[in-house]
Amino acid sequence: MMRLNKLVVLVLAIFCCHLTVIAQQVTGKVTADDGTPLIGVNISVKETNTGTISESDGTFQIAAAPGNTLVFSYIGFAAYEIKLGNEKNVDVILKEDAQSLTEVVVTALGVQRESKKLGYSVTAVNTDQLTQNRTTNVMESLEGRVAGLNITPPAAGAGSSMQIRLRGQAAFAGANNAPLIVINGLPIDQGARGVNGLGTPRDLGDNLSNVNPDDIESMTVLKGATAAAIYGARAANGAIIITTKSGRKNQGIGVEYSSNYSTQQPLNFFDFQTEYGQGTAGKRPTSGANAATTGHFAWGERLDGAPTPIFDGTLQPYSANPDNLFGFLQTGTDFTNTIAMSGGGANGSFRASFSNTDAEGITPNNEYNRKIANVGINHNISKKLKLQLNINYTNEQQVNPPQIGTQGPGAVNFFTRLATSIPLSALKNSAVAANGTETLTSGFQGTLLNPYYALAVGQRYETERNRFLSTATLRYDLTDWLYVQGRYNYDFALSFTESHDPGGIGTSVPTNADGTFKGAYNLSESKGTDVNADFLVGGGKEFGKFSVDANVGGNTWRVKNNGFNQGSTNFIVRDLYSIGNGSVRSQSYGFSQYRVNSLYGWAELGYNNLLYLNFTGRQDWFSVLNPEDNSELYQSVSGSFIFSELMKNQKWLSYGKLRASWAEVGSSNGVNPYDGLLTYGISQNQFQGQTTASISGNSAPNRFLRPFSVEEKEIGIEMRMFGNRVTLDVSAFDKITTDQVLDVQLSNTSGYNSSKENLGSLKNSGLEFLFEVKPIQTQNFSWTSSWNHAFLATKVLSVGAPSEIIVLNWGATGNEFIGQLRYVEGLPMNQVYARTYLKNEEGQILLTDQGRLIPSADYVSFGSSIPKHTGGWNNTFTYKNLSLAVHFDYKLGGVVISSTALNANRQGHSKQSLVGRREGEKGLYSWVFTDRMSSPIPLRLIQPHFMRIIGTIKWAIS
Amino acid sequence: MKKFKGLLLISAIFFLLGGCDKDFIELNTNPYAVTDLDPALLFAGAQRSHLGGWETEHTIVQHFVNPFNSGATLGPNFNADIDNFNNGKWDGSYPNIIKNLVQALSLLEGSDRVNLRSMLRIWKAQVYMGLVDTHADIPYSNAGQAFLKGSEYFYPSYDDDAAIYADLEKELKEAIAALNPSGDFVSADLFYGANGSAKTTTATAQVDKWKKLGNSLLLRLGMRYSKLDANKAKTIVTEAFNGGVMKSNDDNAWVKYDGTLFTNGANGGLVNNNPYFYYAAEPLVEQLKTTADPRGPFIVATYANPSNPLADPAPVTDLASQFGVPVGVINTDLTKPAYRGAKGGGYNYSQMNVGVVASLTAPDFWVTYPEVSLLLAEAAQRGWIAGGEAAAKQYYEDGIKADIKRYALYPKSSTISDADIATFLASPGVAYNAADALKLINTQLWIAYIRNGTQAWANFRRSGFPALSPNKFNNLLNGGFIRRLSYPDYELAQNRTNYQNAVKAIGGTDNLTTRVFWDKE
Repeated sequence: MMRLNKLVVLVLAIFCCHLTVIAQQVTGKVTADDGTPLIGVNISVKETNTGTISESDGTFQIAAAPGNTLVFSYIGFAAYEIKLGNEKNVDVILKEDAQSLTEVVVTALGVQRESKKLGYSVTAVNTDQLTQNRTTNVMESLEGRVAGLNITPPAAGAGSSMQIRLRGQAAFAGANNAPLIVINGLPIDQGARGVNGLGTPRDLGDNLSNVNPDDIESMTVLKGATAAAIYGARAANGAIIITTKSGRKNQGIGVEYSSNYSTQQPLNFFDFQTEYGQGTAGKRPTSGANAATTGHFAWGERLDGAPTPIFDGTLQPYSANPDNLFGFLQTGTDFTNTIAMSGGGANGSFRASFSNTDAEGITPNNEYNRKIANVGINHNISKKLKLQLNINYTNEQQVNPPQIGTQGPGAVNFFTRLATSIPLSALKNSAVAANGTETLTSGFQGTLLNPYYALAVGQRYETERNRFLSTATLRYDLTDWLYVQGRYNYDFALSFTESHDPGGIGTSVPTNADGTFKGAYNLSESKGTDVNADFLVGGGKEFGKFSVDANVGGNTWRVKNNGFNQGSTNFIVRDLYSIGNGSVRSQSYGFSQYRVNSLYGWAELGYNNLLYLNFTGRQDWFSVLNPEDNSELYQSVSGSFIFSELMKNQKWLSYGKLRASWAEVGSSNGVNPYDGLLTYGISQNQFQGQTTASISGNSAPNRFLRPFSVEEKEIGIEMRMFGNRVTLDVSAFDKITTDQVLDVQLSNTSGYNSSKENLGSLKNSGLEFLFEVKPIQTQNFSWTSSWNHAFLATKVLSVGAPSEIIVLNWGATGNEFIGQLRYVEGLPMNQVYARTYLKNEEGQILLTDQGRLIPSADYVSFGSSIPKHTGGWNNTFTYKNLSLAVHFDYKLGGVVISSTALNANRQGHSKQSLVGRREGEKGLYSWVFTDRMSSPIPLRLIQPHFMRIIGTIKWAIS
Repeated sequence: MKKFKGLLLISAIFFLLGGCDKDFIELNTNPYAVTDLDPALLFAGAQRSHLGGWETEHTIVQHFVNPFNSGATLGPNFNADIDNFNNGKWDGSYPNIIKNLVQALSLLEGSDRVNLRSMLRIWKAQVYMGLVDTHADIPYSNAGQAFLKGSEYFYPSYDDDAAIYADLEKELKEAIAALNPSGDFVSADLFYGANGSAKTTTATAQVDKWKKLGNSLLLRLGMRYSKLDANKAKTIVTEAFNGGVMKSNDDNAWVKYDGTLFTNGANGGLVNNNPYFYYAAEPLVEQLKTTADPRGPFIVATYANPSNPLADPAPVTDLASQFGVPVGVINTDLTKPAYRGAKGGGYNYSQMNVGVVASLTAPDFWVTYPEVSLLLAEAAQRGWIAGGEAAAKQYYEDGIKADIKRYALYPKSSTISDADIATFLASPGVAYNAADALKLINTQLWIAYIRNGTQAWANFRRSGFPALSPNKFNNLLNGGFIRRLSYPDYELAQNRTNYQNAVKAIGGTDNLTTRVFWDKE
């Protein structure tokens, strides 16, 4: 499938103004003790809490009154305070200090921890990156930023979903493999409403589009199971913790406004032939009628420009129109405005923001609008009692998201499968036939749909989603070392979808057998509530060189979803979209609810800032599982050793830490409510006046499912060297999943086609590293280069009795679209299987008498679809106030079956299909595609084809 | 302040007490789904079992031809072993009919609804008999129980075909014996229930019909042994005959379609998808023509444009104008001089009559009196039942007559007069004579089984009549007929060990020429 690449992101303007009372401007410069200027030093006025950071040359400017105290803080350096007199210029030299490397990260349950105490891999995301390489969906900008985080960005443009994988895939398909997203303590699933090649053709986005990048204060990626052990089942694939802004205390009132405009242009990676035109068997079409059923074949004659009939019966020059697809597509735009107001006093702070995004996709008529309102409030009710409130409301409207996926009815599929000799203007002007139906353009009526027809007759798909995410946290400090916290999260989602399917699409006959008009109208509404309530009692105390930190808590998670669907077909009045206009109507109501209750606790022991040990335990009870076996205990042990504490005389080493962890988590992932319940369906109409019924569905409910478990081991090392100019972070992990609940294909002689069973086990192991250097750091210019890379190996350990499972199967009935995805014991996950060419014992490809290829009877493996290597290389160049970021990311070593390439070959559009057509070449491909024996052409495209290069140019006025 | 502290304390206590799995069972039951049901409704939903299809069974026995040999249409018309056409009965039985019959039987455990249970058993035997006749060894004793018995029954083993037949005989006999005139009336029964096509209103009347249906199936089963073990055949046939088989068309097991809410599914494929693919086969048309069969005009017709037969207001049905497509000829050859050439969007040949036998409102028949009477003719001729040749002739003529009368139940058919029937019965190639008895009887069964491909094919293999010439396309079957359909390809993937054992048990190859146990060479 084609990808959208963001070419240039122009951040037009970001300006802030602080309406604080200004006493006077104090300027100065911050340097290290060797004289190099320090960039990004936090400088704040202790009394007013106003702050700034130093520029690239170390200089700063801040409003402060005489008598105020300036506080300078910088990672790796000792904090420094100076009380101001009347001077307006203050130069400061900061001293390096390994002890002060107390980077604080937000970890599980929103608890802020010093990163040195953690025995597992945590990556705090630089939130500037989110607004720098700006994307509609916040996760997309993380692509290639975090080692082990594999983001596959949307193929469908603004408003579409992403595939997110942390450290591979803990579970087979069927389970949710995306990490848990926690927004201000509210856990939500990524909830991708994405597409797959076999079914859903429209991508309806995911839950991360509810977050405005401008609202994010911090974002932490918890990679390992240990980090996630405390979130229980839902975080078996790690977690991404997002905290949104809620203002700072004592900062006065501030208003921020930012405006972003970006454009997207489709890039052309297609390399199609422009030598041969429409036709079959080496002959061009002889009449309009003939042309109308062969538009998809480019097995015609060599292009010569001579007038030749096309599908609409007109004569057109028999020449190449290589820009048809890109003539149809347009430049996509994305315009986002955010206004935020924040303030803080002695007892609290707030921030409220509103943002609006208007995007137009690269396919005409595709629009996306999003409005996000976000409020964050911190309030100290008393010295001991604190209240925090976060509310996020999103309204999204998606109009005509493009249809993508295999063999689907989308525009890209249409244009890439049509002979190059058909001009775009004819497709546009002759789209509608005299009787109002779609003019036949190819032999695949009903599959290859002319998008100009859809535009002309107003095909429409529109969806609106409202989502309300809220969190209220109340914390009471019982003593200075013990607190109690209660939290309530409420997540409400309401969505409405409406679709108009004109009757003339993909047909030449506007009416049905009963005389009514073809066409369909569908309305659906779905509603979901998701409540999380938890409590936590925690405290910490130091005893000499020892420290103890401990917490216990509990959580209940309650989910309820329901939805209505109303459809109408067989229209009485043509193309009138109203339920009442349909003589055949269908209704359905869906309902499900489930609950997970949990109790948990963790403890941390520390010794002399040198050694830390962490223990966690959690028990979950799942309503969806077999009542006899419905709970799971998760536990973890991790430790960290700050070895740089013992090497203080080594000046080159600022910080060094060794970490190790072991965790066991589990999940009911893959088991849905009522999976063990047999239900019956009553036939909608009586047969001969008699009511009949049958068992619903083809899946055998399994009443005996248990939770599955994931065991993960991890070791890692983290070092900062040479005055923080070199950073290294390496982790190795090994993750084994056992008893996963798998969707298994049954022999249908069992009465059912599928069921679920606890039988999957698999192993993910890998190595991740981050290497960052600052090769140049001068007064005016600096260059930071950071490379992250992850290596991943997967292995299927068990999938039950047949030792392999076919997960996806194209063309099961023996037609041409052949390919499978299998889990095979002993091999890496996601083996791509296809037929290959039939060969003799010497390995030569065999042909039929007619010179056609012959497929092998058996399917053979072409390798795993999972990339073995993922990573990114980020370079930031800063010159005075200008900065240039260049970002590369890559995925290597996965195999895909390209349906586009398959069709381009078999229909004669690819350059490969030229082989054998030209004089003197021995035929490899048949000229005519009429025989099923010649069809399967498994193609091996390796992921580097899709390596992406993104350049981001950014400048800011402040 | 105290209030907040209290709130936290209360929520903590709530968790500690409630934090287990209270109410989970109730929570995990969908209040909006149907989880309990009268098993009679499942029975009614499972009565319309698979009857064979035009492109498979009817093509094998040369009633029907699709001369297109490319892509998804390639199948038995060119002796090809293709899942697409092999799997019709398999997929049409196990994951729906058998699943529901098995579930209904399990819901009846401990119930006194003896008649419903018997009907379910008889009907299940009928379905399995068709499966054995099609594929030889098949999953039987462990089949259809994935939900009831769990994961050990996800991949059923295959049973020996002869052993299954023995069990089906036992099932039929036990179920027939258990039918009780003073037991339950199964109102939902689509054949003889309150809304049945041949409705009854009392258990006594319904049980009488089911006894006849059961014994007729037992007769069919007994006749299957004619080549393999004539003594066994005789024993079973005698038992069935004495038990009481169908006596008239009023006993037929059939359903009707209204054409709006329900249509005849097998015919839907002919009418709705590219009708120009489909033609009557030459051997069928020739048989109807040479005997001037009064049923002929209901079975075949020629249309102005084979692409859209339904749109033709006046199809030509006189038999002299009918020409069937020769078997094993590729469509592109039909325009060559030896053939009748193109016409409209298709070819200048007869198609199945889409107004009558191939109509969307054509009824479906599972077991009929005409079939029973013709089978009895053979049994009498062979001396298995009393009466000798005289009785055989009587059964033969009664069977043909009843089959012609049966067409009154089709749409757009006219009643054939008794005089015309008498003329037909006396005509050459139809009139009974002892020397040709088996050929005559089974040729008439071949016509009576139009729209019941499963039986048409099984009876052709059993009897060897009519005397058809094999489809010699590419000599793929070494000059023979298709004697069996291969197992679905996906059984190899999903049920590998059991599949491989079954292939070994049927002689080592899973193909179209291996024979079912009763189909002795």
